[in-house]
Amino acid sequence: MVAPARTALRADRLRAVNVPRPVAVELNAGGEPTLFRRSRDNGGGQETKAAVVEAILESWRVDDEWWRQLISRRYFEVALEGGGRVVLFEDRVSGEWFVQTA
Amino acid sequence: MPQRPTSSLAACVWIPLFPLRCEEARREGLVTHPTALLAPDLSRKLWQVSPLARHTGVRPGMTVSQAIGLCPTLRLCEPDPVHYDNCFARLLSALNEISPVIESGELGLAYVGTDGLEGIYGTPGRIVEVIKRTMESWNVGTSEAGSPFQRSIFPSFRLGWGKGKFAAWVAASRAKPGEAVIVPAGGEGKFLSAQPIAVLPLDPDTHRRLRQLGIRTLGALAALPEEAVTAQFGAVGRRLWRLAAGRTGEPVVGSIAPEPIVAALTFFTPVGERDLIERAIDQLIARALKDSRRIGWRVQAVRLVAELESWGGDEDPTNRSWLVTVLLKDPTADGARIAAPLRTRLEQAPPAGAVTRLILEFTAFAPGTTELQLFARDAVAAARAGQRRALESAAREIHQRLKRTCLYHVIEVQPWSRLPERRYALIDFEP
Repeated sequence: MVAPARTALRADRLRAVNVPRPVAVELNAGGEPTLFRRSRDNGGGQETKAAVVEAILESWRVDDEWWRQLISRRYFEVALEGGGRVVLFEDRVSGEWFVQTA
Repeated sequence: MPQRPTSSLAACVWIPLFPLRCEEARREGLVTHPTALLAPDLSRKLWQVSPLARHTGVRPGMTVSQAIGLCPTLRLCEPDPVHYDNCFARLLSALNEISPVIESGELGLAYVGTDGLEGIYGTPGRIVEVIKRTMESWNVGTSEAGSPFQRSIFPSFRLGWGKGKFAAWVAASRAKPGEAVIVPAGGEGKFLSAQPIAVLPLDPDTHRRLRQLGIRTLGALAALPEEAVTAQFGAVGRRLWRLAAGRTGEPVVGSIAPEPIVAALTFFTPVGERDLIERAIDQLIARALKDSRRIGWRVQAVRLVAELESWGGDEDPTNRSWLVTVLLKDPTADGARIAAPLRTRLEQAPPAGAVTRLILEFTAFAPGTTELQLFARDAVAAARAGQRRALESAAREIHQRLKRTCLYHVIEVQPWSRLPERRYALIDFEP
């Protein structure tokens, strides 16, 4: 953590960290991700990068806040081909996939 | 060891929420918003909460997310214990001008021994007036130098006067902001009997047990036989009973400023390079600050003596020396702040020869607080203050160049959350 400032903090100036970014995912027969593509705006247009999943390290589910707005997610912590680790999850309510840093 | 001065008559100066008041005093607009101060430890919980924030249900000990959930407009302040401690040290120094017997409690709580002051100022009422005037003058100096904003925290103090610290403290706790309550001599028992038991230094369990026994006031407690209270609550109960009955007039116990603290360094070969001398000064300051006699005291005056190499070597019997005396405007226990004026003098008027021996003396001190030692030992506080200054300077430079901060610090929002994006958040770092 960075050394604290003495500035007053306000709730409207908070920025979320590790916000999930949408990705397109290819799945195997078991419904596990094997490849995902994420698009990024590089200034001159959309650039799409693909990453191949080498291994699934861990998977878990989160079902929460059913009393408010249901959150239902299936998480996979994956190792990528060529190195790197990320967390992919499927939003089971909307069916969309997202990536987050591990 | 010399005996510490004591005083049976006491005036109590109390500024509730002292750290929060210090922040309000140096930041415009804070006082009109619900505000909370984060704890100086790593818990990231709320430490002090302003009355406006309290009205919205925010309480000390809550997490940031709980507090923001209750009060979205809440302004959170990162704590700056060194600043609060400096403000309090200045207050103690100002009170020391009235009486030589000053005892500090927690931040914002100080006792002034008033034995013998009647001969100088007159009645207790007049003594209290003198303390009020001192508080006013102290307030003027509380805001940071150069700050365009200065707001007085004067009205938030309370004063009490009575025989012994406890009566004075209870009187101060009953006083309205900016006013005083005087307990006349001999009237302690009557005054105390109507007070609630919450004014006693009780742990929650004892407080609960007393309430279960139907004891609501000090009078009710004092009406019980002393032996019965002692049998029920042990030695603590005996002390509580004596306080409630006004039988214990715990005196104000002052401190005696330490004798000068000296640290010296002899060079094997005479040194002429300024860098080496500066490094030696830093070492000497660090060594002198570590001296156990210095704990609880801020350094106010420093003397640096350099013995210089003789021109004629052993054949020249003339001793040459170089001397710098510095009086610090703000007494401090921060090594960097002590070293800064010495470095300036060294640069402006360096010794006229190579240095063979360097002697550093802390010659005058101002009272510090006991609370500083709760937050951090001086070395840690000094290191933290130095890091913060460097970071603030870097942040200002970035802001000047890029017109935006680009620096953030991470705060915990819901560190326990199962959703990673909810655990932490970023906030602009604006020194």
